Amino acid sequence: MPPKQVQLTVQNISKSFPGKGGDVNVLDDLSFSINERDFVSIIGPSGCGKTTIFNIIAGLLEPDGGTITYRGKEIESLRGRVGYMMQKDLLFPWRTVMGNVLLGLETRGVDQKEAEEKAREYLKQFGLAGFENAYPKTLSGGMRQRVALIRTLIMDPDILLLDEPFSALDYQTRLYLEGVLKDAVQKFNKTVILVTHDIDEAVALSKRVVVLSGRPARVKVVHEIDIEATSPITARNDVKFSTYFKTLCAELDIQTETTS
Amino acid sequence: MSLVMSDTSARKKITPRKSRKKRSTFDTTLGRAVLQLLAVAVFFALWELGVHAGYISAFLMGSPSGIFATFYKLVLSGELLSDSWYTLFEAILGFIIGTIFGSLFGLALWYSVFVAKLVEPFIVAINSVPKIALAPIVVLWFGTGLISKVALAVSLTALVALIAAYQAAKDADVDLQSLMISMGADKHQVFWKAVVPSTLPSIIATFRINIGFGLVGAVVGEFISSQRGLGHMIFLASSLYDLNSVWVGLFTLMILGFVLYYVIDIIERTSLPWKQATTSHQVQV
Ligand SMILES: Nc1ncnc2c1ncn2[C@@H]1O[C@H](COP(=O)(O)OP(=O)(O)O)[C@@H](O)[C@H]1O
Ligand SMILES: [Mg+2]
Repeated sequence: MPPKQVQLTVQNISKSFPGKGGDVNVLDDLSFSINERDFVSIIGPSGCGKTTIFNIIAGLLEPDGGTITYRGKEIESLRGRVGYMMQKDLLFPWRTVMGNVLLGLETRGVDQKEAEEKAREYLKQFGLAGFENAYPKTLSGGMRQRVALIRTLIMDPDILLLDEPFSALDYQTRLYLEGVLKDAVQKFNKTVILVTHDIDEAVALSKRVVVLSGRPARVKVVHEIDIEATSPITARNDVKFSTYFKTLCAELDIQTETTS
Repeated sequence: MSLVMSDTSARKKITPRKSRKKRSTFDTTLGRAVLQLLAVAVFFALWELGVHAGYISAFLMGSPSGIFATFYKLVLSGELLSDSWYTLFEAILGFIIGTIFGSLFGLALWYSVFVAKLVEPFIVAINSVPKIALAPIVVLWFGTGLISKVALAVSLTALVALIAAYQAAKDADVDLQSLMISMGADKHQVFWKAVVPSTLPSIIATFRINIGFGLVGAVVGEFISSQRGLGHMIFLASSLYDLNSVWVGLFTLMILGFVLYYVIDIIERTSLPWKQATTSHQVQV
């Protein structure tokens, strides 16, 4: 294995929002780094500022303080270079599947014909050939989220920011999409940061899990997940799976055993 | 593992269950049309009988037979057709100009929150004026010809379109815009690809109201001063107590409004194909 190289570092990031009783400190001095080809899950209590971190990295919000360093260079944000996926699939309802997949390439000014060819390739690969002209509302939740994933991947982003992308789906569809995601990430050599509230999903997919404390968010602990599995489903059968699961539950102060 | 798998969760199309209650034979398109025509026929028959029996004054109310004779005469002379075209032209021109300018201005306000906040009270103030009251001034400014009627129709339709477009642009999904920004889109791209398309349903929804306002503008303009058009015809006939001609004018206006409404309906249904799946079926209570 080659030595791990740091791809993205966020350092001492702070952010507060104006609230009723004064400013609310959501992020205060938060730092972590992501390696090249990393798959990091971030878990933490809801409302602790996970989405806020993503918005800052993606350039939708300006931090009050702190720096972002990308491959050794300090940058403002990764706007235009991230693939941001949210819980809602955010497909444009007036665009067909093809139109949605092409959105990013269009804004980049890629030649229409070339873009369409590429899109067809991706759609075929993800089992959506034949749905090019369908409107999002006629698709199932799983299919819609797959379209959103293609729309993200086709841009060839430097880093994927996935904010609870599967949490609105039923368990079966989620398992299936986890597999699709894992395969795609391997195939396209992507770095992924995944926010999830699902510990099970975090352990099954990631190389590392970052546990955040409640507001203001700080990194409580980082766990290396050492499971060599070909798919998220087989990962769940790994002997180490339940140990990681229990440890993470404990980190999040979730009671796993009833005490008398 | 292959990326391709069948997705078992593909949603089946929902088909509403047929109501088990037996529908009456009249509750069909044809049955309803028959009932509607019957109601109209009865109405005219009672009116005609009332005139003949002396209960209704033909002088103040007109009579169906007189209306029909006048209609026939005005059709043959070509006056009705030319007056109708004139009014229709004014109404449609006013509608198109008012809707385009109103919508564009309303959408443009999305670009600057500062400008939008600045002009908002003025828009509300102008909108609260009953614009029909402007008619005499509009005629003073634009003369007695076509332009003053179009201008009146524009004044009635533009603000409706402006307010609808501005409101819809403000309400456009912020997450879709954020997504585009994270992809590196600039403000113009966000505007054209995210904001404008999401406002189209609201803008198109104003067409229905505005086509009616277009007719109102044209007719009121003609009332005030004109040599042509249905409004002029109605105004002139009523000053001569020619009630039959008044009714012919009114019924023609009604038919024009009716036709325009259905044309708009078709435009609405064909211009937003992605909206269709949900609006086609209404929940039965
Ligand atoms: N734009 C905003 N304005 C004010 N408060 C906000 C804004 N965005 C987020 N917050 C607040 O910041 C906190 C963290 O939000 P978020 O990052 O969405 O949390 P998480 O994704 O971890 O659930 C929440 O309490 C939320 O109410
Ligand atoms: Mg969140």
